[in-house]
Amino acid sequence: MHKHVESLRNYFLVFAALLALTATTVGVSYLRLGALHAPAALLIASLKAALVILFFMHVLHGSRLVWLVIVAAVLFLGIMLVLFFSDYASRGWLPETTPAKQLRTTDIR
Amino acid sequence: LSAEHSGALAHHFDTLEQQHNAATLGLWAFLLTEVMLFGAVLTCYAIYGAAYPAEFAEASRHLSVVLGGVNTAVLLGSSLSMALAVRAAQLGQRRATVYFLLLTLVLGTAFLGIKMSEYYAEYREHLIPALNFSADHEGRAEKWASAGLNAAHVQLFFVFYFVLTGLHAVHMLIGMGLLAVLAARTRAGRYSAEYYTPIELGGLYWHFVDIVWIFLFPLLYLISRHGGGG
Repeated sequence: MHKHVESLRNYFLVFAALLALTATTVGVSYLRLGALHAPAALLIASLKAALVILFFMHVLHGSRLVWLVIVAAVLFLGIMLVLFFSDYASRGWLPETTPAKQLRTTDIR
Repeated sequence: LSAEHSGALAHHFDTLEQQHNAATLGLWAFLLTEVMLFGAVLTCYAIYGAAYPAEFAEASRHLSVVLGGVNTAVLLGSSLSMALAVRAAQLGQRRATVYFLLLTLVLGTAFLGIKMSEYYAEYREHLIPALNFSADHEGRAEKWASAGLNAAHVQLFFVFYFVLTGLHAVHMLIGMGLLAVLAARTRAGRYSAEYYTPIELGGLYWHFVDIVWIFLFPLLYLISRHGGGG
């Protein structure tokens, strides 16, 4: 049976990187970054997730079909986020009064 | 080949490798549906967070970054232990596999213990929606009113907090049940270096639950540490 056994050294290096990135995301959250907070937090979380997926979940040396499933997950998540946020972000852009005006993310209060 | 004769190979597969690849792909397809489950709740959370940034920031400041951060480290440690359990299984090291599976179980229990202590603190601070949420606790009603915060929107943050962390905790409990079964079966000699597919799949599930927490921790605990809202 073909299988790739990762070295112990790599597993511990990945673990150290995950802990370092956790400390980084806590540190960054105390900085004054304004609107960049959410992108910074999501970028660091995505890096951590990528490390777990590639090494702990054996995807780096795994089947290409698994890569396809992961691409599908990211793609569909992206479709959901883009459609939801393009809807809520653009409410009120048109002048007429519609039911959609009742919930706007910018001036709801 | 011994495992193929001992019954590990289902009759509709030609080889153990083919069976292993099919099972792995199937579990990944299941994880894709899990991504959409957590993704949908997180999308709602993001939309309401964008609508009520000041209230969500105020609510988030009631969570403990120290406990959340320690719990993140504990869960990452459990993922390392799980990876080492799968590695030991790949190499046919039965005792090491059982040891690391049980260590993963212990770390998972520690995570849930810390989480329960957080829930208890939130119960004492009257922050649990539908159970005891109260805007008027230790004078915070005046504080929120003077800052122009709507208490209902603060409560909405805690609805998302308990749904997301509760859903995650349920996944942890399922994963811990799987770990106990895998440890018992490994000890009974059901797996070998040729056939360890169930341990591999249990590992994939455990690491997925870890990844969910990797996103929950910054999104719930860290959105407002720099002071003002947004």
